Amino acid sequence: MSEMWINMGPQHPMTHGLWNLRVKVDGELIVDVDPEIGYLHRGIEKICEYRRYNEVVTLMDRTCYVAGIAWEQLYIMAAEEALNISPPPRAEYVRVLSQELQRLSSHVMWYAAYVQDIGLMTPFLYGMRDRDLILDLFQSYTGARMTYEFMRVGGVRNDVPVGFTDRCRKVMDWFDQRLPEYEKVCDNSTIFLERTKGIGVLKAADCVNDGVTGPMLRAAGVDRDLRRDRPYSVYPELDFDVAVYDAPDCYGRYRVRMEEMKQSVRIVRQVLDWLDRNPGPVLAEKVPRFVGTPSPPPGKEIYVERRGYPKGRGFSAMEEPHGEAMAYIINEGAEHPYRAKLRSPVFVNIAASKDYLVGYRVSDIPAIMGSVDICVGESDR
Amino acid sequence: MTDLTLAALLPALESRFGPDVKVLPSRKEVLGVVQVKVDRLVEVARFLHDQGTFTHCALVSGVDWIEHIEVLYHLWSDALKGYLEITVETAPEDPHVPSVTSIWRGANWHERETWDMLGVRFDGHPDLRRVLMPEGYRFHPLRKSFELHEPEELEVKARHV
Amino acid sequence: MNATNTSGTARIITHVKETDPMEPEVPFAEVEAVQSKEYIPVIKETLTGMIQRGLDAATKPVFNWAGRNSLFPLHWGLACCAIEFAAGFGARWDGERFGVVPRSSPRQCDLLIVNGTVTWKLSHKLITLWEQMPEPKWAIAMGNCATGGGPFRTAYSVVPGVNKLIPVDVYIAGCPPRPEAMLDGILRLERLIRERRA
Ligand code: SF4
Repeated sequence: MSEMWINMGPQHPMTHGLWNLRVKVDGELIVDVDPEIGYLHRGIEKICEYRRYNEVVTLMDRTCYVAGIAWEQLYIMAAEEALNISPPPRAEYVRVLSQELQRLSSHVMWYAAYVQDIGLMTPFLYGMRDRDLILDLFQSYTGARMTYEFMRVGGVRNDVPVGFTDRCRKVMDWFDQRLPEYEKVCDNSTIFLERTKGIGVLKAADCVNDGVTGPMLRAAGVDRDLRRDRPYSVYPELDFDVAVYDAPDCYGRYRVRMEEMKQSVRIVRQVLDWLDRNPGPVLAEKVPRFVGTPSPPPGKEIYVERRGYPKGRGFSAMEEPHGEAMAYIINEGAEHPYRAKLRSPVFVNIAASKDYLVGYRVSDIPAIMGSVDICVGESDR
Repeated sequence: MTDLTLAALLPALESRFGPDVKVLPSRKEVLGVVQVKVDRLVEVARFLHDQGTFTHCALVSGVDWIEHIEVLYHLWSDALKGYLEITVETAPEDPHVPSVTSIWRGANWHERETWDMLGVRFDGHPDLRRVLMPEGYRFHPLRKSFELHEPEELEVKARHV
Repeated sequence: MNATNTSGTARIITHVKETDPMEPEVPFAEVEAVQSKEYIPVIKETLTGMIQRGLDAATKPVFNWAGRNSLFPLHWGLACCAIEFAAGFGARWDGERFGVVPRSSPRQCDLLIVNGTVTWKLSHKLITLWEQMPEPKWAIAMGNCATGGGPFRTAYSVVPGVNKLIPVDVYIAGCPPRPEAMLDGILRLERLIRERRA
């Protein structure tokens, strides 16, 4: 049979964003793949060098648009490290609350889009409806549905409003009912099981060497979750289990995400209880003024000459809904970061696509790439 | 010596590689910061992978310090539960660093991105193309000599040339 | 007058000069044309054109009415605004009640909603998609990025406003616009179509 290259993308129903999967096929069989990204490269790392520390938060929301608040916290943790500021405990709890709500909404969004790709329409409507409930919660304390601009160096912008915890508990009760129903829709569907079981296998050793992280790694049986293994924020004080599954295929990834949603609900409940018991400030007292006040953007000479403030480097890593994200901030004593580097888990997961696509059929591509949970804003930055 | 504790790891590195490896003062969010000479990088990386349990190369990035370019590696160890930071210095004009893709395949696209954004060439990389910017783009945008402008400014400039 | 006729006229002139008074006044070539029945396609064309115009006048309002009440946007996701675009077709907002059904192929679409940041790397792909869509077609710039670059307008890789590449009919402000705003934009486009034509 003759082989040929075909382009799937940049506009393709499989891609969930804009990227181009070039596949070399022999009949129906995939022989080679060459993913091409960068169609949404917006130069965020460069623009960060022209923004105040608090202004960068705006860009972080847009970096990953299904998990904006996760990237806010990632950046803020690195920036706090670089500027040597620590937030009050209540701020940390509000952050963790946002984290877990965001993980829930991101996974629900994934569920809605993925199962629709496989051929079931109901989950899309279920998912979008329940996701809106979480976004309503976000809206009630951050003011926005997707792009929050909520975190600040040294804390968060505002506390949760009165009556929020009760409203949130109600939504969590609702999710307790819904999550088993989600699973029922998929596990009783022969189409879903046939199209996900044993498809897109990436073994544990390959996962580790390829740098693949997140639900893909845990589905392969590697028990690593930065929330537990390299604790940040107040996760050590919370009680939760790490979801691990021993089938490195699409079905395993679905299982891991389902389990993570349940754990998120559990964490949110604990945080709500803590918030009810412990009032307090949510923004640190002694934050240098320059982190927020506006000034003209710097030229090259400002980088070199105006280095009056204390210097420092900050590194943070966290378990984002898609995998392990990292930020690296260099503070050269100026009012803007000297360098901001972001590590996106999706970037690496796409890079490894050769290892889990070759050998399957063209018709498996939507099922496999969907199970990776791709967010192009994050991989291209 | 497969299971190195953190206390044993850094001295072992120093005794093995001598003056080519320098342990810098650590920060609290990483296990340690190690500066390595460019030509010994692959050997150090292989040592850390095989004997130091650093099986996961999390991040390869670079910083333009104008006088030199610094390439940074963050490695994760499942046994030590932390990140080790490796830094390598190279010249700003035509920087060359050996590639570590033969040890961690996951470093592949990170190195491509560093080439794309900072113009660091990774010798021995199997496929060093641009990854984010289109092929044929002339600049390396994260260099400090590359400045951002308001779009109107660029248009005005273009009209007056 | 169409092309075959003009070439005929050129021949007429050469013939007229050589004719003697005994010949009939009708130029030779024209006689030839009449005899070879070349006029039939011409008349046919004129007639069909007239009928077409009449039919158009009668049916266009109907087609326009149908078209503007069932705009088919291209189903694609550029950036953050695409998530709100998807939410607009979810359970709560249900954009399909306005007859707006996203399609995956540009050849089935008559509305391009640019829902996110357009980069220079993407620009020619976007133009190809736009050109693949059959006429009549419309474009909506959704969000600040598509309108004017948004938060990334100073970046080296971002097109500051999609109207540099394709003609845009409706701009929706917001970063991202809420799903209500997107549906409002589509309804405004429908009004625009009604006012311009029909
Ligand atoms: S307008 Fe805002 S929300 Fe929409 S794509 Fe641009 S940055 Fe994202």
